[in-house]
Amino acid sequence: MEAKPSSNLSSKFVDQVVVPGDVILDLSSMANQTIKLGGGLRQDGDSISVMKAGTLRFTKPNKYWVESSHKRYVPCAGDNVLGVVVDTKPENFLVDIRGPALAFLPVLAFEGGTRRNIPKFEVGTLLYVRVVNANTGMNPELSCMDASGKAAEYGVLKEGYMFESSTGLSRMLLSSPPYPVLEALGKKLSFEIAVGINGCFWVNASQSSTVILVGNAIQKSESLSMVQQKIYLEKLLKSIQ
Amino acid sequence: VYPKERGTPYKLLPFVVVLSPAAIEVLETLFPVPNSQPQSRKKDRMQEKIAEEEMVTPGEVLGKGSEVKAGRGAYIAPYNNTVYASLTGRRCIVPSSPESPDQRPTVEVIGHKAHGPVPEPGCVVIARVTKVMARMASADIMCVGSKAVREKFSGIIRQQDVRATEIDKVDMHTSFRPGDIVKASLSLGDARAYYLSTAQNELGVVSAESMAGGTMVPISWTEMQCPLTGQIEQRKVAKVGA
Repeated sequence: MEAKPSSNLSSKFVDQVVVPGDVILDLSSMANQTIKLGGGLRQDGDSISVMKAGTLRFTKPNKYWVESSHKRYVPCAGDNVLGVVVDTKPENFLVDIRGPALAFLPVLAFEGGTRRNIPKFEVGTLLYVRVVNANTGMNPELSCMDASGKAAEYGVLKEGYMFESSTGLSRMLLSSPPYPVLEALGKKLSFEIAVGINGCFWVNASQSSTVILVGNAIQKSESLSMVQQKIYLEKLLKSIQ
Repeated sequence: VYPKERGTPYKLLPFVVVLSPAAIEVLETLFPVPNSQPQSRKKDRMQEKIAEEEMVTPGEVLGKGSEVKAGRGAYIAPYNNTVYASLTGRRCIVPSSPESPDQRPTVEVIGHKAHGPVPEPGCVVIARVTKVMARMASADIMCVGSKAVREKFSGIIRQQDVRATEIDKVDMHTSFRPGDIVKASLSLGDARAYYLSTAQNELGVVSAESMAGGTMVPISWTEMQCPLTGQIEQRKVAKVGA
């Protein structure tokens, strides 16, 4: 979404909690610039108002958006998500990505995929996929290849266990610098993890106790502050020695 | 047949009896029903029509293909060249016009109920888009020509029928959205739905609502603008008016 006029100063609400109805910018007093509105913001004539409760974020030069954490995922083109196969059709697999509609994964959307080597996925298979397009009113389309046609890391996730979290925690797990919980756990334990931006992550390790430990630690850490996380992790890692 | 309640006299209630066709014919000769012709057949009133009093049912033989032509409500089976009825109604024979080279009369079946209009191949219909998918959009047919239909008819707009040029590069999402009203031409299609085509300048989206809820105004062949927010959305727009 784009709006025509803009402001040199950023809104005074940046990095603060905003609720629906707050007006964050008044465009009538601005010079001719472009500002880009991301999710959660809407233009009503000359004012930009908030539609979703969350924290207002701003990056230079002109991007505003509202960041919030939900258990429900809204599909967006370019996202990497975890999906579970629920059905097979002649042309597509139907995959549940925890959004409002089932997503379609074309049977040929794999590296080197032809009509002769269509993969056979059972119902319940866990996949790491990329959302190709998610137009409103249509089912999202997925792919197991990256934009250049290589398999990258997409595909079936074997063994391990998928944990549910919220979209906010997924974004924190994927942020750089790395999430401190992940760093601390990684120093002591060896495991592999795949994070989907749709509010779930998958953990695999050689022992199931490690998988359970890592999953629970990450889920619990969402509601703890930095200091509390440190204390919790120290206690946890000491107890497994 | 008569319910008996304590203290109330017998009441004569209407009751339904199922009669054999022969019994119906006898009753019809005693109490003839006036023959009501549906309105859409105005042009046929010019020719003489002899509507028989005999009711025919689907599958009944109406004549041989060498002697009669199959009209509305009848069809010709190619394997034995016989004309059968496909509707329930009265058989009616329309004599052929004197100029035509084929002098066979046309046999038709006139339904005894007045039905709503039925889409015919080649007519222009108005439909509402219900679902948009990667390669096709499904739509509910609402009007045939200028008359509203009475039953539900489904239509499908395939990716190759959206426009006449560059048909394999059509993006369904930039042509239609759920809720759009489109004008399309119809062809018979498959068992599930009629096939609709918008591959002409005058066909396409006639009316659409924007994401903000306002009725959009067309600004080009491929774009419509919302009057409330000024946002431009892409559609396959129909050219309306002179």
